[in-house]
Amino acid sequence: ALAAREKKKEEEEEMNYFPDEVIEHVFDFVTSHKDRNAISLVCKSWFKIERYSRQRVFIGNCYAVNPVRLLRRFPCLKSLTLKGKPHFADFNLVPHEWGGFVQPWIEALARSRVGLEELRLKRMVVTDESLELLSRSFSSFKSLVLVSCEGFTTDGLASIAANCRHLRDLDLQENEIDDHRGQWLSCFPDTCTTLVTLNFACLEGETNLVALERLVARSPNLKSLKLNRAVPLDALARLMACAPQIVDLGVGSYENDPDSESYLKLEAAIKKCTSLRSLSGFLEAAPHCLSAFHPICHNLTSLNLSYAAEINGSHLIKLIQHCKKLQRLWILDSIGDKGLVVVASTCKELQELRVFPSDLLGVGNTAVTEEGLVAISAGCPKLHSILYFCQQMTNAALITVAKNCPNFVRFRLCILEPNKPDHLTSQPLDEGFGAIVQACKNLRRLSLSGLLTDQIFLYIGMFATELEMLSIAFAGDTDKGMLYVLNGCKKMRKLEIRDSPFGDTALLADVNKYETMRSLWMSSCEVTLGGCKRLAQKAPWLNVEIIDENDNNRMEQNGHEESQKVDKLYLYRTVVGTRTDAPPFVSIL
Amino acid sequence: MDGCSRNGEISPKLLHLIPQGRRNWFHDDNTSVYNTEEKKLELKLGPPGEDEDEDGASITRHIKKEPKDKSILSLAGNHFSPSSTTNKTTSQKRTAPGPVVGWPPVRSFRKNLANGSSSKLGNESSSNGGLLKNQKCEDDNGRGKPMEPKRQQGGMFVKINMYGVPIGRKVDLNAHNSYEQLSFTVDKLFRGLLAAQRESSSSGEEEKPITGLLDGNGEYTLTYEDNEGDKMLVGDVPWHMFASSVKRLRVIKSSEISSALTYGNGKQEKMRS
Repeated sequence: ALAAREKKKEEEEEMNYFPDEVIEHVFDFVTSHKDRNAISLVCKSWFKIERYSRQRVFIGNCYAVNPVRLLRRFPCLKSLTLKGKPHFADFNLVPHEWGGFVQPWIEALARSRVGLEELRLKRMVVTDESLELLSRSFSSFKSLVLVSCEGFTTDGLASIAANCRHLRDLDLQENEIDDHRGQWLSCFPDTCTTLVTLNFACLEGETNLVALERLVARSPNLKSLKLNRAVPLDALARLMACAPQIVDLGVGSYENDPDSESYLKLEAAIKKCTSLRSLSGFLEAAPHCLSAFHPICHNLTSLNLSYAAEINGSHLIKLIQHCKKLQRLWILDSIGDKGLVVVASTCKELQELRVFPSDLLGVGNTAVTEEGLVAISAGCPKLHSILYFCQQMTNAALITVAKNCPNFVRFRLCILEPNKPDHLTSQPLDEGFGAIVQACKNLRRLSLSGLLTDQIFLYIGMFATELEMLSIAFAGDTDKGMLYVLNGCKKMRKLEIRDSPFGDTALLADVNKYETMRSLWMSSCEVTLGGCKRLAQKAPWLNVEIIDENDNNRMEQNGHEESQKVDKLYLYRTVVGTRTDAPPFVSIL
Repeated sequence: MDGCSRNGEISPKLLHLIPQGRRNWFHDDNTSVYNTEEKKLELKLGPPGEDEDEDGASITRHIKKEPKDKSILSLAGNHFSPSSTTNKTTSQKRTAPGPVVGWPPVRSFRKNLANGSSSKLGNESSSNGGLLKNQKCEDDNGRGKPMEPKRQQGGMFVKINMYGVPIGRKVDLNAHNSYEQLSFTVDKLFRGLLAAQRESSSSGEEEKPITGLLDGNGEYTLTYEDNEGDKMLVGDVPWHMFASSVKRLRVIKSSEISSALTYGNGKQEKMRS
């Protein structure tokens, strides 16, 4: 026994051919979370070195772990990323009060006196109290990024502005913020000159333009500035004039008809912004102002016109024709197939394209079709990510797209009408999507739509070996569909399904599969309460949540029948058991 | 049924009348079907495709039967009927797509954009103006904005801007019957905003009512653009004629009336290209 132990010690020492400090230095070059997680599993000694040197931690599901365990393992934490609600919360499928509160995390971090510098939150509930506590607890705090969060007001922003002396980034992306009328900007002290990113595009209220201009003028490092709709044209011109170093600009609104003097000033200011690479916003833009940006278009690598509902296709096209270096384009489908043909012939560097629907009433306007998609696939050899909303699709088009573009990493197609078949052949779109998964060997994310049978899932299980996230809606015929996916996709992490006929058989077939995944969402499917209960029994390391907004009394107490269909099921692996902050309409089995 | 039925309901109309909690009795009919289905689906956990040979026939059968089954299925729940290109004997045809909760998968603020609704500061009548939302879900978890399930046919929204105010608003013309009512609404919408803009330049918190919009006596005058792109003074034609041709409203300074209306027309031509 002694000999065995000594041998083990020797082996461990052999592993550490270098002293710990050297190994730690090597680890510094390993930055991706996946890689760091991997090296921590090599041996005990590496685990220890890794955890003390880990500065950036990513937690994909805030309920999978808790702050105590986080801090125990990574005491030298500087940057934390947390995600809360499941993805379908973006589409109002998750009730407001479901959870995802950041307060306990901030409290724990504050108590532990960890030197937090960066906090990135997605789909979490943030309160003014949380923001105030955050602003007061970490003297080196530099960077706050909030994406799709809610629950706070501009008062919380005022605390951040006032108390974070070294603030570098304040990046608010698509949050729901109660705007108390714009005085938070004045809370940045005059001594604050360190801003690099200021993004408040999602604020709905008026903005104190004077405070904003002063702030921008004293921020020489400002690289990213995204304004909200309350910043008019003349203010924009002044802002750009004092920040010619800007790299990433979000334009607010041009709702006022600009008099010619404002426009000339804007033109002059824009010409000086030679570092500008990314343009977005245009929440309400008068089309003729777009031409002011033409002189810098040849430098743009990223363009987001997806909020510009007022600009019609021809103006969009005129702008895009100048953007030969574009790598990322987000646009509305008002650009039309013709516009996409122009994109295909102009933007040869394009890597990511998102085409959003502009007319959700859906009747009539076939803004973009399969033709636009095919054109893009043919013209843009570097394309690897696409999100495409359209009215119609064909198998033939998808097969062509797959041939043209075998490099897709993310492929999300949304045909607006559920269950819509190939509009030429009336067949399901199994073959088309099948061609995509077969050709795109690196596909990590896929969203399906249109008429689909179990066949597509057979293809996915067979070919989509790298697939990590799959979104299914109104698809499939039987439990086999879901089983093909669960059996075949070894790297599946997030599976979200709605309105598809998958039930208990598929759910219960391989319980251990869910330990390899982050989460599973099933709504309006065929799973029953009994099935979910059985699952919860078999897998105590899962939180199996039943969400039923009409039932505030928790299902078990009411003696609901086992065969009752579950409206919304959300399950996820966790090491910290049942959460205690669930609202009454969530039952955790 | 080959595919499992989605919700088991019979028709969408009944669906709406029966609250979610009370739908248990539907499932009794389905339990026997369900059990047979389960037996059919006794699958081994082999790699996909193992069952191909045995079930090859049934898969084809599924696909062939697909359209008809789908049509029956789409009667249930909140789905659209399939498009009219596939032949459906039993499907209910709807002329416009019905509402499906959370579909298409776009964020709320994009839906508002698409329907032309501007800021969250609110419109004159708090209607989404676009898709009907399933009342059960939206009222409880509407993201910050109260969205009443009001039919879109009822609301006719036009944008309105005011000189000196950076934020535009929207007005539901169908909620008005006269120019006076409209004038009152304009005052309500912009009085506060105008005062806020002035606050930054002068002190004092007076909120002056906006009057004289229609007769040229006030500081501001109400104008509009019609469906031909021409700019006109509000108040000249009978209300219903105005309401049927107005595309957009604008509150301008009374001193600018002549230049706004002539210059505006030419510019409008350019903007509409």
